[in-house]
Amino acid sequence: MALQAAVKGKLISVIGDEDTCVGFLLGGIGEINKNRHPNFMVVDKNTPVSEIEDCFKRFTKRDDIDIVLINQNIAELIRHVIDAHMAPVPAVLEIPSKDHPYDASKDSILRRAKGMFNPDDLSMFGAENYTT
Amino acid sequence: MTVEDTNICDLETANDLLDRLTLRQLHLMEEKMCRELNIESTINNGCFHLAKSRYIMGQTSVSKERLPTESSIEFSASTMCETVEEAGETKLKIVENDKDTVNPMHWFGILVPQNLHKARNIFQNALNFVVECANIQIQLLENFKNINVLRKYKHHLKSVE
Repeated sequence: MALQAAVKGKLISVIGDEDTCVGFLLGGIGEINKNRHPNFMVVDKNTPVSEIEDCFKRFTKRDDIDIVLINQNIAELIRHVIDAHMAPVPAVLEIPSKDHPYDASKDSILRRAKGMFNPDDLSMFGAENYTT
Repeated sequence: MTVEDTNICDLETANDLLDRLTLRQLHLMEEKMCRELNIESTINNGCFHLAKSRYIMGQTSVSKERLPTESSIEFSASTMCETVEEAGETKLKIVENDKDTVNPMHWFGILVPQNLHKARNIFQNALNFVVECANIQIQLLENFKNINVLRKYKHHLKSVE
């Protein structure tokens, strides 16, 4: 029993529109566990933002999920929750959908990485050495 | 060598290391964007074949109505990922599971068009890009943490001077 548990990997979950969820579930990542909890959520125009937030928080709290895929346009709706997720695992990956191409300027991880570049640090000798 | 000389050496080493980590950060950011664009083109291709399948089989035949719900019987994922340690780095890798799994094609009918098979292959390929992107993201966050620690050390050295 312990050996079987050690061999089994962790899940890739998805929060996305219909095509994204159908596609990745066709790829084989879908699961309904013994508690009847799925690892995917289909979001449409009628899905309340609170439901998306709750689902995201549930997926990131589960210890059997290593990657959370979320369409970038859906991630925009819960940006504050995604920005608060600091742990490297589960990895939260913002993916494009067929209607919304990828926008690097909106990606939480890239914005955080870009934010560390202070223009003063990057000037050749430091801003304090320039006098006007 | 005096304490001041040691501090200057340490500061130069810290600056050198900071430069390398910053350059690595820029490379990793570029790699992540490239992987995301790969995912985008793969998803678009996959969605095209899903749309073709929908055209052949009917609008509701390839839709969320066919997906399992909380009232469905339990089953395990056939494609999962596991954490491995390679060259001191934590990486994710795709693993296949064949215990208690279902064939997702069966949700959409017995005789399904070739486009649905094609879409499945495309999305399985997309999962490889997803895991690659996740690995780069993990390295990005680790690098970011190292840069912050080094910056604090550099400020400490400067304040000691």
